[in-house]
Amino acid sequence: MWLSSVFLKTLRDYRIAILGWGIGMGLVVVSPMASVAALVTTPQARQQLVSIAATFAWNADPVAVDTIGGYATFKIGIFMFLICVWPLLAGSRMLRGEEDRGSLDVLLSLPRPRLNVALEKLAAMWTALLVMGLLIGLLAFAGGKKFGGDFDLAGALFFGLNLALVCAVFGGLALLISQFTQERGPAAGWTAGLLLVFIVLDMVHRVVANGEWISRLSPIYYYNLSKPLVPSYGVNAGAMVVLLALAAIVSAAAVWLFVRRDVGGTVPLPRWLRLPERQASRALPVGDWSLRSVYTRSMGMIALPTFWWTLGIAGFAGWMVYVVQLMEARLSSLLSSSPAFTALIKNLGGSDVGINAGFLSAMFVFLPLLLMAFAVTQVSSWSADEQDGRLELVLAAPQARASVLLGRFAALATATVAIGVVTLLASAVAAAAAGLSLNGGNLAAATLGMIPLGLLIAAIGYLASGWLRTAAETGLLSFVLAGWFFLSFIGPELKLPDATLRLSAFYYYGTPLLHGLQLTSELGVLAVAALALGLGTLRFARKDIGV
Amino acid sequence: MTAIIEVDNLTKSYGSKRGIAGVSFQVQEGEVFGFLGPNGAGKTTTIRTLMALIRADSGTATIAGLDCWKQSLEIKRLVGYMPGEPALDPNLTGGQILEYFAHLRGGVDQAYLKQLIERFELDTSRKFRQYSTGNKRKVVLIQAFMHRPRLLILDEPTSGLDPLNQQEFDHMVIEARDEGRTVFLSSHVLSEVEKTCTRVGIIRDGSLVRIGDVAEVKAIKRYEITITFANPVPAETFKSLAGVADVETLDHGHAVRLAMQGSADAVIKAAAHYSVVSLTSYEPSLEDIFLRYYEDDVAPAKEVQSVAK
Repeated sequence: MWLSSVFLKTLRDYRIAILGWGIGMGLVVVSPMASVAALVTTPQARQQLVSIAATFAWNADPVAVDTIGGYATFKIGIFMFLICVWPLLAGSRMLRGEEDRGSLDVLLSLPRPRLNVALEKLAAMWTALLVMGLLIGLLAFAGGKKFGGDFDLAGALFFGLNLALVCAVFGGLALLISQFTQERGPAAGWTAGLLLVFIVLDMVHRVVANGEWISRLSPIYYYNLSKPLVPSYGVNAGAMVVLLALAAIVSAAAVWLFVRRDVGGTVPLPRWLRLPERQASRALPVGDWSLRSVYTRSMGMIALPTFWWTLGIAGFAGWMVYVVQLMEARLSSLLSSSPAFTALIKNLGGSDVGINAGFLSAMFVFLPLLLMAFAVTQVSSWSADEQDGRLELVLAAPQARASVLLGRFAALATATVAIGVVTLLASAVAAAAAGLSLNGGNLAAATLGMIPLGLLIAAIGYLASGWLRTAAETGLLSFVLAGWFFLSFIGPELKLPDATLRLSAFYYYGTPLLHGLQLTSELGVLAVAALALGLGTLRFARKDIGV
Repeated sequence: MTAIIEVDNLTKSYGSKRGIAGVSFQVQEGEVFGFLGPNGAGKTTTIRTLMALIRADSGTATIAGLDCWKQSLEIKRLVGYMPGEPALDPNLTGGQILEYFAHLRGGVDQAYLKQLIERFELDTSRKFRQYSTGNKRKVVLIQAFMHRPRLLILDEPTSGLDPLNQQEFDHMVIEARDEGRTVFLSSHVLSEVEKTCTRVGIIRDGSLVRIGDVAEVKAIKRYEITITFANPVPAETFKSLAGVADVETLDHGHAVRLAMQGSADAVIKAAAHYSVVSLTSYEPSLEDIFLRYYEDDVAPAKEVQSVAK
């Protein structure tokens, strides 16, 4: 049945995303519900939470944040970029991705109008978004019931629908932009860039007086006009209709252009917007440093992702260091009145003394987590290269298998060290700018100490790639990462024995911002990483390639 | 001449799936050896074993006296390799790919590399993902030839190349042979290997079924001729002619389809006595040939032995 039409086949392709993204985003909505229930145990704590949320008002509307539904809405507003990732990827892949693979040629050779093919695919994406919205709504409703929310099922479902609509706008936008790009990657990149611009435009009216007319240019603004999880605020039907209309207009424009252009080609841009014609050439890039060895080539491949991840990790660290001083008074009050929050900070940060350092220490636990996530993406790329046959010719050159693997790993290690060093510099600069006094040695330990953890997960990934295919390997590493974080985050509250807590790599990272470098632990992590890398190299040297 | 490739009783399976079983052959230094077989016969498995990309379950394979698995690094210095399904970094340009592999190999003559680029008229400024199938193969073909290797191992090298570039490829193979280098190329098209190869081996269902000079193997080559006449012609006219293996009457006697083996001279002369509307010749695929030639599934090993004697 699922292969009986383009619509059903496309929907079938989305089935894992529907479940994964729908449930995942649903849990993202539910988790702040759990935390707010624990946070607002006293009137003072409630007031402080409202006050802290107001600090972030530039980012998302802090409406009724002391309620379950209001706090979840506020948190989701902060994570809007994350929510829109799937639709922008799906929109850019829908037609352009198939053109990249050549599969659209075959599909369009069937006696079926091109318009129908595009509309069926579009309908499948919209259906997928609606089902995801439904899952998010149902999970939000269940969360509300569990933690004492005051919104009803209709409110929860409207919340899911509102999210689905804003996602449909960005999915349609990605589809439209992909009509102008030769590949799907730039379409996704341009849409992500526009998404950021729209998020910033939406912020304007919160920080600039009389700036509302600017924010009205952003779809995010219309999303924020409805807050169905806050019964006193409710649904703005007009805003939802605007979102629906925007999604329909950009999608219709994309389909209109698609049925008129060459398959595999792009919509011609006006002459003044076109890049200069590329001249055919027989030249060789003799001076290109990145082509000199497996290591330099790997550095060339990893440079751009490293730049973005550095920006994210170092930016997060610098921002936390900068704002912690500003939040000190409110945090102090919140900690004194909320045992749950105090316990949370203690578990993460290793101490409840010295508010600034304790809170920062808790936040800095996220740094190694992010660095390890970066390492997982790079290991996946290595595994995909082998699976897709891109290592075959490299291994047919007179290069030992071990040196190919180690060259690639060395590039990842270099990137990991670079991220650690830049994070240290960003944190030190932010501390100086905010007038915050932090122990320099401890700050260095907190930022550079995450490097061994990045190397550890990378080495484990290289070892696992000796047996597993890309998807399974990425899944396994993500599971390990989530498991380790859960052990360190929740484990102490569950009174898990120390031997169990030691299974998590975060245990060995410790709380360096408070207690300095745990040299023995870090060396131990490095030793395990070296062992995993050694075994991974041995396995790679003996395995069948691409089988 | 000495053998540069020696394969003895090579076996490889993928779990429960067949790869190759007991494959044995030799390729002499300086010859152009064609490795023929239908799709899925085991050609690529054999080649990937020679290139140490996969490890044989049993048997031995040596190149220039070096063990293909244990001494693969030394072997790769001698070999230029072209995989059947080339996959390269899609974001690199053709020029960057060639420069990268030149660095990995070391000692590549840049002047010769540029000469190859000119010869194939390759635009080196395009990204690999933007190339057509034929241009992708040109990039991989150039990287296989660029260091003037002693042995070229080419897996279906002309697949996707246009006739002009196929011709250029044939010239390059002949030049390599004339310079004393060895070429081992796989194909599933018999007529393709006829042009350049001195000897061929035929693999089917993972086993080598025949090995010998091209002329010997040509004996199994069949083709079909369909002749359409203005008026009906009796089939008996062609049945006893030299080269005709089978005759089928079509369109109420207005056409005949002849299964041919060998020269068509007698058929053309016989047809000339009648008013011919059209004449088409069709070369069946190797699979078709095998289906006919080996339709009773003759034990392959026996046949190899008989040729080897």
